[in-house]
Amino acid sequence: MTDELELTQDMKDAIDREGDPVFYEVTTLGIRTFARAVGYTNTKYYDEDAAQAAGHSTLPSPPGYLGMPVWNPNKEPSRQPTFNNPFTKNLNGGTQVQPIQQVYAGDVLSAVSRITNLTMSPSKSLGKMLIRETETVYTRQSDGVVVAKTQGQGISY
Amino acid sequence: MVSAQNWNEVSEGQVFTLTEPMDSQRLVIWAAASGDFYQIHYDDDFAKGNNLPDIIVHGALKGMLVGRLLDEICGDSGRITNFGVSYRGMDPARQDLTVHATVIKKYEENGEHLLDLEVGVKQEDGSTETTPGTATIAVPA
Repeated sequence: MTDELELTQDMKDAIDREGDPVFYEVTTLGIRTFARAVGYTNTKYYDEDAAQAAGHSTLPSPPGYLGMPVWNPNKEPSRQPTFNNPFTKNLNGGTQVQPIQQVYAGDVLSAVSRITNLTMSPSKSLGKMLIRETETVYTRQSDGVVVAKTQGQGISY
Repeated sequence: MVSAQNWNEVSEGQVFTLTEPMDSQRLVIWAAASGDFYQIHYDDDFAKGNNLPDIIVHGALKGMLVGRLLDEICGDSGRITNFGVSYRGMDPARQDLTVHATVIKKYEENGEHLLDLEVGVKQEDGSTETTPGTATIAVPA
């Protein structure tokens, strides 16, 4: 735990630096599982015929679903640039989604994240905390089109 | 399910809601869908060992429930321009959560018929708002 409210040089250097791309697969199984978890009843998210009747070539991805990272048991997927973080606990502070193009089953997306801001701040309930703002750009690999951008806020304490 | 809306028939101040049960099965399905397997969302003993009253609903699931409500308002002919939420509080599982969206501005821009909305997620008591946010959608006119 740090006693300082100042960002370290290591943290400052991480701002605006892009992380390594992480590849996300959008599959029919992934879309159906996501749609079921969120409670969608529109059958275009489950059934190929219903999707085609709605004007899609295959299952469309529901809003916010951008696939799952390819799992490698020897390498934990990490999108964000790293820095020496003195805090060990993390909270998800919020998410913004900007859909740009419809994503479909079969798409493979690369996700590239960068930290847009870091702030060290006092908190009544958590003590000192580090607020991390990030932006991630998702690009479809088949044609290089940016299909979505997300912004997130993470809180370490 | 909320029916798809026509821009001409929507008014500022209009409220849309959907209510969903947040039982443990729902959270396990979400864990599989999202890859978030943190045990505070499905393991009672683990959650209580972390000073939580019960397993808690994933923040991202609440955000995507907002996305679903917006998708239903848009219907197959509309689109979501953007939506976002802040996770201000935890929601214990095994209760119904109500997702809500209120039209705060109705306007036309670049040939699209747009709605700005305030969105959020309320607990079963009807007053506790844990996931406030905003959204903009385009709906057919």
